[in-house]
Amino acid sequence: MLRLEGVVKNFGDKCAVDRVSLVVPAGQMVGVIGRSGAGKSTLLRMINRLNDPSKGSIWFDDVDVTALRGRPLREWRARCAMIFQQFNLAGRLDVLTNVLMGRLGYVGTVRAMFKLWSEEDRSIALSALDQFDMAGLAAQRADTLSGGQQQRVAIARALVQEPSIVLADEPIASLDPRNTKVVMDALLRINRHFGITVICNLHSLDTARNYCDRLVGMAQGRVVFDDVPHALTDNLARELYGLDAGEVMDTAGTALPVPKDGVRPSMAVA
Amino acid sequence: MTVHKSPLRARAEADLAGLKLRHPAVFRAPLGARLMTAAIATFATALAVYTLWRFGFSPLKFVEGLGKLGTVVVLMVPPDPGNQFWNYVVALGETLAIAFLGTLGAALLALPVSLLAAKNVIANRIIHFSSRRFLDTIRGVDTLIWALIWINVVGLGPFAGILAVLTSDFGAFGKLFSEAIEAADKKPVEGVVSAGGSDLHGFRFGVLPQVMPVLLSQILYYFESNVRSATIIGIVGAGGIGLYLANEIAQAEWPGVAFLILMILGTVAAIDWISGKVRLAIIGTRGRVA
Ligand SMILES: Nc1ncnc2c1ncn2[C@@H]1O[C@H](COP(=O)(O)OP(=O)(O)O)[C@@H](O)[C@H]1O
Ligand SMILES: [Mg+2]
Repeated sequence: MLRLEGVVKNFGDKCAVDRVSLVVPAGQMVGVIGRSGAGKSTLLRMINRLNDPSKGSIWFDDVDVTALRGRPLREWRARCAMIFQQFNLAGRLDVLTNVLMGRLGYVGTVRAMFKLWSEEDRSIALSALDQFDMAGLAAQRADTLSGGQQQRVAIARALVQEPSIVLADEPIASLDPRNTKVVMDALLRINRHFGITVICNLHSLDTARNYCDRLVGMAQGRVVFDDVPHALTDNLARELYGLDAGEVMDTAGTALPVPKDGVRPSMAVA
Repeated sequence: MTVHKSPLRARAEADLAGLKLRHPAVFRAPLGARLMTAAIATFATALAVYTLWRFGFSPLKFVEGLGKLGTVVVLMVPPDPGNQFWNYVVALGETLAIAFLGTLGAALLALPVSLLAAKNVIANRIIHFSSRRFLDTIRGVDTLIWALIWINVVGLGPFAGILAVLTSDFGAFGKLFSEAIEAADKKPVEGVVSAGGSDLHGFRFGVLPQVMPVLLSQILYYFESNVRSATIIGIVGAGGIGLYLANEIAQAEWPGVAFLILMILGTVAAIDWISGKVRLAIIGTRGRVA
């Protein structure tokens, strides 16, 4: 269980995240929504500790994540994998090495420096790639892949971390519609198949409604909505997104029929 | 040929007086700037004339000298190593070794220091600033001067030459490497760190693959130029073929001098050609560096 208590992040005198408190039970698929600049990325980056909170604390079970330093901090990062909008792969390295980056938390420094990966690590990485039909591309340079393929490599990297949580920061914002579905299906699969908590920043409201168990709406650094997707009425959504509303909702005006526990089209792959 | 009168041109012409009135600065002759240019040109000419006069330059001397140069060139033909050929070859090998070891040593020492000097690796302002200035200072001293210094420290010979090349290029590499590292995309580093990697891992997998082709290409380029420097520092006694060159010139052994010059030119050309090929191969035919 992940617990945020009054988390604040200031950049200079700009308050990016303002007193956010949240409890995320294990195994949930949470969508964080809100217009650009609302503080979604900063929130996720603080959970992984790529940014440090200015105030407040973040707890995972009984561990105060905000107090971690050195080795325990790296172990925490390995436990809460991060997926980025721009994939953040090492483009000049091959796909397998990129996936093996997810094992760095478990490998000795000297072995890692010389890329002396164990057979076990290699097989874990390969089978993660295989989950997304990418094992055949293991030896290819990452920057030769399409955006959708690169994001699946990043998801494979997250998976081999054997994480408890996956944090995805706008994982589909750089992708075309077909790859959007492939990548979201992959995240859903991680959640449903491996029971990993997924917290996913999404710009598109429809995607968030279709894939998530719970939506957290942010505006100006604060949480202004936190409920199941179908509780988010179009009026609330319009408030949340302001002028961007038309852009994020394909079906402006009509509420989406969202089955609460029914079969979603995208779950067929899970 | 009649110029086509576009609507824009017609408008501009009709409004010329108005435009001048509203934006006088655009039309005013930049008198100040022109005066400045004239002043700089006058000063540069005066300085050149004065220094030539101070150095006692006379065109007559130059013309006379040209005649002597012609004599020397005639004496050089045909180039002939005499019985020194193998000595020359060994000395040339020594020069290449000085350039190679000096460049390699400089690169190896510069890499860790360049990390200190790179803003995106070391956030500490003081470390960053002082390592920058340190590298700049070393870089400001020419290889030849380093050679003279090292000869006094370790004595005549190739070791002083290696140290001379190493010290002067250490400064240059430190600066170049740190700039390449600063220009590297930091997203891959974030990817590695977010997955539980250390800063060292971030550098090894996030930065190094990006900058390695640039660094290798710079090292090769410096090796090329160091072959030339190593020849020169030989003249002051830091080992290699330069020593023979200085000797033969002093003894007016012109055929030997000619032979040495041809050997050096051939070697430098060969190394330029090879390293050009290798650099192209490293950077990749697509010219991708990032
Ligand atoms: N490193 C930073 N330095 C300064 N301001 C930042 C930084 N990162 C984010 N911000 C600011 O914090 C606010 C929230 O940004 P962000 O978390 O990226 O929002 P979102 O992901 O919802 O678009 C924005 O106003 C942004 O300009
Ligand atoms: Mg963002």
